[in-house]
Amino acid sequence: MNQASISPSKFSSRFKSFFRGNLGGWIVILAMVLLPFITSLISGQSISNLLANESGMAKFVQGLAIEIFILALYALSYDLILGVTGLLSFGHAMFFAVGAYLTGILLKSFGWSLWATLGMVLVAAIIQAILFAVVLPRVQGVTFALVTLGIASVFYIVIQSHEMSAYAGADVGLQGVVAPEFINAADHRMRFYFVTLGLLIGMYLLYKRFVNSPTGRVCIAIRENEKRALMLGYNTFYFKLIALTLASITAALAGCLHALFQPIVSPHTASMGFTIAALLMTLIGGVGTLSGALVGAAIYRLLEYGLKNIFGEQATFLLGVVYVLIVLFLPYGIIGTWKLRALQIRSGWQRLIGLVTGKPKQA
Amino acid sequence: MDGSIILETKNLRKEFGALVAVDNVDLRVQANTVHAIIGPNGAGKTTLFNLLSNAFEPTAGKVFFQGRDITHLPTHRIIHLGIGRSFQITNLFPNLTALENVRLAAQALGKDNFRFLRAASHFKRYEQRAWEALNLVGLTDRALMPARALPHGDQRKLELAIILAPDPKLLLLDEPTAGMAAEQVPEMMNLISQINKTSSKTIILVEHNMSVVMNISDRITVMHLGRVLAEGTPSEIAANPEVQNAYLGKLYGDMKKREA
Repeated sequence: MNQASISPSKFSSRFKSFFRGNLGGWIVILAMVLLPFITSLISGQSISNLLANESGMAKFVQGLAIEIFILALYALSYDLILGVTGLLSFGHAMFFAVGAYLTGILLKSFGWSLWATLGMVLVAAIIQAILFAVVLPRVQGVTFALVTLGIASVFYIVIQSHEMSAYAGADVGLQGVVAPEFINAADHRMRFYFVTLGLLIGMYLLYKRFVNSPTGRVCIAIRENEKRALMLGYNTFYFKLIALTLASITAALAGCLHALFQPIVSPHTASMGFTIAALLMTLIGGVGTLSGALVGAAIYRLLEYGLKNIFGEQATFLLGVVYVLIVLFLPYGIIGTWKLRALQIRSGWQRLIGLVTGKPKQA
Repeated sequence: MDGSIILETKNLRKEFGALVAVDNVDLRVQANTVHAIIGPNGAGKTTLFNLLSNAFEPTAGKVFFQGRDITHLPTHRIIHLGIGRSFQITNLFPNLTALENVRLAAQALGKDNFRFLRAASHFKRYEQRAWEALNLVGLTDRALMPARALPHGDQRKLELAIILAPDPKLLLLDEPTAGMAAEQVPEMMNLISQINKTSSKTIILVEHNMSVVMNISDRITVMHLGRVLAEGTPSEIAANPEVQNAYLGKLYGDMKKREA
């Protein structure tokens, strides 16, 4: 309602400041939108060839980018509960795997439509967030991490069990998920690319807004000092439940996309290792920064791909070395460290300007 | 002072194993007064405070606020009744700005806590309330500093601003001058006294520094080994021989005699 009364000039200046404040973000979005076309140009593939979904460099790069977007969505959801709300969960892979397996099973074994499947994934995501939240008021810190690890481990065992093998494919995983034709990643790679990119951007903006909303501010307060937040009169349980639910829905959506794209779901997605992957991606990018999760996901996937290409199976060891180095040299992650530096540089400039103009620096 | 009783405890008792930290305490605090609870280290002052603010469950006994039994209310409900509590050990959100620390306190009692699709800056009234509280304690020029970067004295003032922000009826201050430089103590005490007078709030404060509370308190309760040793006006307490022996020691008694 307020917006309507804003004069055009004021609106345009507001738009400009919004644009400038997020310049880096706009550049990244633009680069991602142009990525398929640029790679086709570089590899000498014609645009019409690209649009016809011919295989080539561009299609391959899109595939890699889709994997990164899905991982980024997953890492983003982990950052919301670890970085923003301060809950250390070791069961996050379950959030992802429930979405992936449910999508695969409902589409393949039950022949559900994609929309009905999505609805079911949403319901399951909310239920599992509540399942995690049930233990929240009773345990804290490391104990919460262990309880969530326990819940996720049970799921990991169940999904690989002999009894479930007809649906989930036991330790081989769920093979041959039937993605609906209009979003089939093999035939409509670029469409899938933009759907995933759009979902990631939308979710990122939603998360940004959430963190800066009254609810998100309380989540940050819980991370900083939960006892004090209680003393201020907040029933912290509900805020943790909201953060968990949002994270669970996001991770399940990422899992759903994963099942549609691959189209196989390996039990690895439910394992402890996959939770560690989420932890690593957020650590690399910077805990609590949100954008760090996206950067972390890109680095994680590209490093893994690059090193595996060069060194084969030994890459895992090298990956470990790289992660240790990143944590040693950039303890706040890439985005976190960069934000700190940017602040120092800015205040340095202010001091310099103050020296030159002779005005006292602002406190 | 013939105001109504705002806070009352009946036979309040807290045991930690074999240790009786608070031993059948009956406390009656009149509205709009400054009521100090003093006593040597280990007298049970802070435990009593934790019982009043429901951070601990009492072993036995009851707490009444404005006639209502609040003994078993959860911590986060207490503040909604109008009780604000500060801590002896500075207990802030260290990485958030002073303003955000207070803004969160102001927001807590509003109805917008679950509006997660709107920016927090949209809700101006909480921010305004936070500025008012910061202004009251004289911290407006440091509002945008992270709480951890504030000097200790300012952190204590920030603590006060945080509990003032929701406009409580009763303030529970646990050693508001703890760790403060000696020259800052009178300033803090003036501030507390001023809050009591200008906005007619009831203040209960715990101190172990007797001289600090003598000037600003209306009533003083002296605790010793978990029990109430004496209660009365500051002059009654100062003259009480039992108090002098148990707590003030000979030195203070001599000092008083010299003054007289």
